[in-house]
Amino acid sequence: MSGGDGGRLPSPVRRVIEPFVDRTVAERVLISIAAILLSIGVGFAIVLVSGRIAQCSTAAWTMPVTGLGFCYDPIEVYVVLFNGALGYPFAVGEPGIFNAAWTPFNLSFGLTLSETTLLIFTGLSVAVAFRAGLFNIGTQGQLVVGALATALTVLAIAPLLPAGPIAGVVVVAVGTLAGAVGGGLWGAIPGALKAYADANEVITTIMLNFVAANVAYVLVLEVFRAEGSSVVATRYVPEHAQFRPWLFPNSSDFALLALLVAVGFIGGLYYVVEHTPFGYDLRTSGVQAAAAEYGGVNAKLTTVRAMTLSGALGGVGGAVWVLMSEGRWIESVPDLGFDGITVSILAGNNPLGVLPAAFLFGLLKGGALEIGFRTDVPTELVGVLRGLIILFVAMPEFFRMAGRYAGLGSDGPGGPKTSGTGSEDGESEASGDAAGSGSDAAAVGGGEADA
Amino acid sequence: MNPAVHLDGITKRFPGVVANDDVDLEIERGSVHALLGENGAGKTTLMNVLYGLYRPTEGTVVVDGEPRSFASPRDAIDAGIGMIHQHFMLVDPMTVWENVVLGNEPRTWGGLRVDEAAAREAVVELSERYGFDVDPDARIADVSVGVQQRVEILKALYRGADVLIMDEPTAVLTPQEVEELYDVFEELTDQGKTIIFISHKLGEALSAADEITVLRDGVKVGTVASADVTREELAEMMVGREVLMEPATTPREPGERVLEVTDLHVDDDRGVEAVSGITFELRGGEVFGIAGVDGNGQSQLAEAITGMREPASGSVDYLGEPMAGVSRRGHIDRGMAFVPEDRHERGLVMSYDLVQNGILGSQHDPPFASGGRIDWEASTEHAESVIEAYDVRPPNPDADAEDFSGGNQQKFIVGREFERDPDLVVATHPTRGVDIGSTEFLHDRLLELRAEGKAVLLISSKLDEVQGLSDRLAVIHEGEFSGVVDPATVTEEEIGLLMAGESLADETVSGAAIHDALDDGLGGSGADGADDVEAGSDRETAADGEVDA
Repeated sequence: MSGGDGGRLPSPVRRVIEPFVDRTVAERVLISIAAILLSIGVGFAIVLVSGRIAQCSTAAWTMPVTGLGFCYDPIEVYVVLFNGALGYPFAVGEPGIFNAAWTPFNLSFGLTLSETTLLIFTGLSVAVAFRAGLFNIGTQGQLVVGALATALTVLAIAPLLPAGPIAGVVVVAVGTLAGAVGGGLWGAIPGALKAYADANEVITTIMLNFVAANVAYVLVLEVFRAEGSSVVATRYVPEHAQFRPWLFPNSSDFALLALLVAVGFIGGLYYVVEHTPFGYDLRTSGVQAAAAEYGGVNAKLTTVRAMTLSGALGGVGGAVWVLMSEGRWIESVPDLGFDGITVSILAGNNPLGVLPAAFLFGLLKGGALEIGFRTDVPTELVGVLRGLIILFVAMPEFFRMAGRYAGLGSDGPGGPKTSGTGSEDGESEASGDAAGSGSDAAAVGGGEADA
Repeated sequence: MNPAVHLDGITKRFPGVVANDDVDLEIERGSVHALLGENGAGKTTLMNVLYGLYRPTEGTVVVDGEPRSFASPRDAIDAGIGMIHQHFMLVDPMTVWENVVLGNEPRTWGGLRVDEAAAREAVVELSERYGFDVDPDARIADVSVGVQQRVEILKALYRGADVLIMDEPTAVLTPQEVEELYDVFEELTDQGKTIIFISHKLGEALSAADEITVLRDGVKVGTVASADVTREELAEMMVGREVLMEPATTPREPGERVLEVTDLHVDDDRGVEAVSGITFELRGGEVFGIAGVDGNGQSQLAEAITGMREPASGSVDYLGEPMAGVSRRGHIDRGMAFVPEDRHERGLVMSYDLVQNGILGSQHDPPFASGGRIDWEASTEHAESVIEAYDVRPPNPDADAEDFSGGNQQKFIVGREFERDPDLVVATHPTRGVDIGSTEFLHDRLLELRAEGKAVLLISSKLDEVQGLSDRLAVIHEGEFSGVVDPATVTEEEIGLLMAGESLADETVSGAAIHDALDDGLGGSGADGADDVEAGSDRETAADGEVDA
């Protein structure tokens, strides 16, 4: 059979991917929960096997019935992963279910929420581009540029104002805005290249990540490096010009205010995407570009705008990284932009989904640190467990997106088309069946060819 | 003698829908049987039951006197039943004979190698036995749609089909190709084959079938011999009420000049010139029709006029203003409505509900956009009013566009565009896939717009539609008007000749020339080498399209 993109996929692949394309939100949430449980099951086995292979003097866990000893305790690993990420709200080794001494404002939970906050911005950045049908791999670069813009702006204006809470608010706001502008401009470049030079945004954003990282490095190295610093970093911004970690311990690098700002961004972006004419244009371009064009959407302008918005969100992520986590621009920028891609996929590219997705990532990050403190399980193995959870949870969503890209599912854009009839008369009976009979017929065609 | 097929009390239920309700059907061996009904009447479902794609909820399929239970089309094929779908299942880069034998190739070397010579020979032999004019070595991509259809028939015959089911076989054919298809029917039935075809076109059922069974809402209304029934009676059986077969056209009162197209040249996506110097003007209160075989530049012409495609040269003036460089948005804002030909790609966003689809094109305009946000209440009201006025079924504005049948999707698009209060409506194939009752309604609405003084550019491949509604009628061939005629006096034969690129003055037209021209028009190379097609004579039934409206 010839025809649409979907038709080119071999039929076993279609059969695997197709069911994922048309899921409802509730089904997708259920799938995600099942995926977490499944990944824990697999991870459990991996911890056991590694625990058998590793050498240790005393067994951390003995398997009931068989009496086999293992170096790592798989139950403990997962308990510490989730319990530890929250700062042990559940009692460990003591009577009772809850830990009486627990408060939410502990170091571990702060680390978890710090990671969550940063990933919300980068997740939103990737999500908004994806909703417009653009794959922005460049959030990392936009974050780097935004972070540098924020650091330099704050360092420039902070001395001009008397230190104090009011000046702090102003400086933080202006610094965040500078991050948004920096990231937005950096995102606008691949947007314009895509719109006016037909350059694939996946390629250009990847390349611009390297450009951003290296240009920022050289700039700081040669021009803005703090005197006497052993690493390539700018000076610290003044304390009053940072997001302050009220309630949480200083070392958690977490500010509740920043999380609230991030949640505000989620709500704002959701509103923009779902309830404004601009959002309508953006979404329509993403799901069906030809229909958007028909509906008077300027495709080029929408591409540039979406990439600019995406870049600005990445830039704000950079601003928060500087003003909340580091207090300065430093060469070792974490891979927040790349993790944002997975967060966005996990969230189904829905701004509202970014919150739980980023929180799951934050939990895994915070939990991994705890496992390092509390157990002998090597950090590499913890990385494997994190990867498994993400892989299992993201895969169904990834299938769904890939399927939509390939034009599978119920009669979507680029759906099954067949040979050169050219015309689309589509007298389809009793709605719904039509799609069914179409795919049945396709399966028949495939069956004949296989026989 | 047993009937070739006997469907006994077939009921097919889907969740919430009874697609077929206790349908009995007997089909005589060697006859042509038409299954007639509106969109959603249950025709295709019934045939899918016969072809083994669906299992009936109740009832029995009896083939040749023997009750059968088909688990899959494979079983149906083994029982001698073949089905030719509306969209062909052919591999474009492969040759005719390769497509015919695909999946059932004769083998040599103990099954390791396809016996190409034997396969080709078998296809040639079949093709000759039934008088098909098909070049076995032509590539599918190079032959016309009519030939592709014959290849599909050959495929079914090669697999031993005695009963051929065809779903809307004429939907993609030119009038001349339709005639040839009827000849194929005759050849097949002469040799004992039985044909069942699904249609919603009255004229086609009357001229091609021996017997006609009418379905309505999943129930069989009756079976009649085509010789004993009139169009009006059939239409009433289908719709369940009397149908006005002629739209009430009033004399036209041309108003202001709305559209002026001058020496327009437009390229297609590949950069090949698709519209080659078209000039016309259109006034308010006037319907200007453009007829032609699909793919002769109609799409590009409509897109250039509505601002979706930049013309290569020439000009489009709308309401006295040159439209060069005006965006698509600008065209919409200036009151131009456009019913696009591809409803799945352009006309609707398939994953959006009808509320969101109802504002496509108006998403920045009041009352739908106010204060930087979309007013979903106003949008919902709008969708509901279109749904009600244009009888979109089911009447649920929250259902996604992809969940509606083609005819209902089309009604919604046409409704949305007509209700824009436009000065110009560009409508391409506005009633494609729409059933007879709704077609009548859409035609009436079109004429109402005309009476209100709007200008209408109607592009359609349905001859009766463009002929019946237009005040002036142009025929397009290879990007040029091969003639502009008075639809009241022109005959269908004359339009057919113009569609083939002939001029009317030239009386000595050979059939081969027409056929080649048609092939060219479809982008094929005429590889089937039609040398003696009698296209010039006896074509009064050609293209007697869906509704004589």
